[in-house]
Amino acid sequence: MNRVQNTKLILWLIVGFAAAVGLSRFIYGLGAMTNLTDSTPWGFWIGFDVMAGVALAGGGFVITAIFYMMKRDEFHHLVKPAVLTAFLGYLAVIFGLLFDLGLPWNIWHMIIFWNPHSPLFEVGWCVMLYTTVLLLEFSPVPLEKFSRYAKIRSFLMKFRFLFVLLGIMLSTLHQSSLGSLFLIMPFRLHPLWYSDILPILFFISAIALGLMMVSFESLATHWLYRRQPETKLVAKLGRAAVWVLAIYFAVKMADIFISGEFSMIFDGTWESNLFIAEMLISVVIPIIIFSVNHLRTSPGWQGLASFSVVFGMVLNRINVGGFTMLRATGDSYFPSWTEISLSFGVVSFVALVFLYIIEKFHIWEKPPEYPEADPYTQPSFDYSSRVWLGSPRIAALTKYSLVFILSFAFGIALIPDRHLQSKGVEEVIAKKARGEELLYIDGNHDGFGVSFNHQHHIDSLGCKDSCAACHHMNKPLDKNTGCWECHRKMYSQSDIFQHDWHASEKGADIACGKCHPENERRLVSTARKCYECHPDMFAVGTENTAVNYLVDSYTDALHQQCVSCHKEKALILPEKEHLADCATCHESVPPEHLNELLKWYDEQPSYNRVILPKIKPDSSENKSL
Amino acid sequence: MRAAILTDVTKCIGCLKCVSACKITNKLEPDTPRVWQKNDGLSAENWTSIIKKPENHYIRKQCRHCLEPACASVCPVGALHKTAEGAVIYDKNKCLGCRYCMMACPYGIPRYDWDEPVPYVSKCILCYDKLKIGQQPACTEACPEQATIFGEREELIKLAHQRIADNPGKYMDKVWGEHEIGGTSVLYLSNIDLGFLSYQKTLGTKPLPQTTAPAMKSVPYAFAGMGAAMLGLNWIVRRRQELGKKQDEKKESSNE
Repeated sequence: MNRVQNTKLILWLIVGFAAAVGLSRFIYGLGAMTNLTDSTPWGFWIGFDVMAGVALAGGGFVITAIFYMMKRDEFHHLVKPAVLTAFLGYLAVIFGLLFDLGLPWNIWHMIIFWNPHSPLFEVGWCVMLYTTVLLLEFSPVPLEKFSRYAKIRSFLMKFRFLFVLLGIMLSTLHQSSLGSLFLIMPFRLHPLWYSDILPILFFISAIALGLMMVSFESLATHWLYRRQPETKLVAKLGRAAVWVLAIYFAVKMADIFISGEFSMIFDGTWESNLFIAEMLISVVIPIIIFSVNHLRTSPGWQGLASFSVVFGMVLNRINVGGFTMLRATGDSYFPSWTEISLSFGVVSFVALVFLYIIEKFHIWEKPPEYPEADPYTQPSFDYSSRVWLGSPRIAALTKYSLVFILSFAFGIALIPDRHLQSKGVEEVIAKKARGEELLYIDGNHDGFGVSFNHQHHIDSLGCKDSCAACHHMNKPLDKNTGCWECHRKMYSQSDIFQHDWHASEKGADIACGKCHPENERRLVSTARKCYECHPDMFAVGTENTAVNYLVDSYTDALHQQCVSCHKEKALILPEKEHLADCATCHESVPPEHLNELLKWYDEQPSYNRVILPKIKPDSSENKSL
Repeated sequence: MRAAILTDVTKCIGCLKCVSACKITNKLEPDTPRVWQKNDGLSAENWTSIIKKPENHYIRKQCRHCLEPACASVCPVGALHKTAEGAVIYDKNKCLGCRYCMMACPYGIPRYDWDEPVPYVSKCILCYDKLKIGQQPACTEACPEQATIFGEREELIKLAHQRIADNPGKYMDKVWGEHEIGGTSVLYLSNIDLGFLSYQKTLGTKPLPQTTAPAMKSVPYAFAGMGAAMLGLNWIVRRRQELGKKQDEKKESSNE
């Protein structure tokens, strides 16, 4: 196995998980798949997928500005990967946004319904335009392979300078406008992150992040394909990043100082600690590493520093995008595993596309030899399936699809059943037994009505505090406790023999030997029968009916006792046929009284009713007894 | 006509008739609140609620219908807008579900159908259908104590100040919503601090859309400015390179 294949396997694993989550999100809705609430409507998906995604794709405009505008020819190697990263990054942002939007099929509405006051409108338009520009900027690379498109390619190449210029201008706008999004939330966002110059801070940090993302990505892919890292270029980018980061740090600190929030940084709340951590990771550590000469030129330290910036800036975007609003809203929020896995899945998918394009097209001066397609490697033998897997490439594809399907299935299995759990039941405004003493209810949820003395239950169970004895409201499908849950003996067999009571000193206080013969194992079967001591408890001929000391439920017992005899008598006695009818004993409620009892339910205003969660009607029927 | 509602907290007896009337009028389904959330009674199916505070204080929570609503200013497709009648209404056919309105509202009013595969934003719309035909909203109509009343905004503000003047010591000397974030159409008279209705105790008088307006206005300048800066930079760099080449050629020629 090699590095590329292992990396791809991991990426496919994450993608499989994410596919399961993404599918479920569209079936069950946002509430079931995320921890978002009405007070935290933006969470990890906005912070990471959109805010951080756009910032991470900032490498495209930074590198093209350096190469085309500043004419620094030595960065030639980095331009194509940077533009490709930006292009795929924006596609990832749009793709990720489709999961977060409540009505993603309406995303095109931004084109026809305009609201120019909205920063999001501007961001949306810029992202649309810039993605198009990036496509035009990048398409000459794949078109190179197809000679019949040479004309289109040369046409696009002619306008390349214009595209690049337009791309830089559009990037400036929406990188900063992502900051403008939060200007309207001074009451939500923590003061350390809120600032009137948030757009400027976002723009400066996007430049720094762009430089470092290109470096990190270059280092990572070169490591992956075992190539010589472009240490010199990265060192140059690092030197530039030091300046940008320093400016960012200075502007941010000046802003905090001027608005008088400086003391907040050290006031010990979790936000202040988070702020210090963010600043250390995103600014201080990379500045130190890139300022030391021998660290700046070592690939390992370069990787660490650039990853530090990337991580820190992503953290910044997530913090601004919702994490630091928790104090204001007073609610808790932490992304669920489904949210995290979907975000990582989108990134992994884009990374796979990136690797595919790098292998297929002329991105680097010397394209990487596809390690799996090496014609001299032998076909591999799979020990689990005992088959030869053909060419290594087919073998790799088999592995990828296997990993994808397994993780997809695993993801589906793990999807939380939150479309039920997320629902509660409305708080009921308690009224005094709805004004009625006698109710006609479906006590066991089985479709049979019984007349139920509500007042008697309230009185005997402890008056006002007793409501919860039946009306728990804490189980998913519960509206009230069925009769059988308390009156168990009515419906199920019960144990009539209390062994401990017989044996205990405070009870009957009988020595063991009185029932259990000595020198024999103490078993039910060897013990003396009940009727030997309690002959008066048993009717003649029923001495052995109490098998294992379990007796039938009251309903069964009564039916057995009464019904058999009733049926006999109904046949024998003249004009007593009705003895066998149920209604003879189960006095039915008179119809006019029944109507009265049922009327209260319809009269209640809808908010006062206890309502089942919205689920499919057939499934709720199955749950009832 | 600038429709408005004045709610007198001291008069409210917490009978929930407004809540019930709202549910019936707007045909809202029974509620299914989510776990892990502080419950203020509002939800996608509850557009107004009564918050109970100690000592028999009942405060009705509903959309404030700001004069310059933050939610309407941030909606990228203009699904929310303030009508001439004074209501802030929602067009679900435009909405794309970005939930920016929910983020922008300082009172946390808009709510979402989290449990639906096709979710919409929902909030009080001041019974806009009734408002259009000259009727008052269901909640004010249903109130048995005249605790929440409907009228024109200016008159209600006058009435509120009148009540404060007539009953010294009964109310806090403030009409909630008169100047808050540029003024709201739903006003409160209270004898307790109503700061808990918003995310911050005091919101200030600056309308929220004005916080993003400077940034949005500078967009064209930033766009043109960046383009000019890049072109200028490019021109300078090219010029320098040309001069450098010429100097090299001169040096070479002089060397020869």
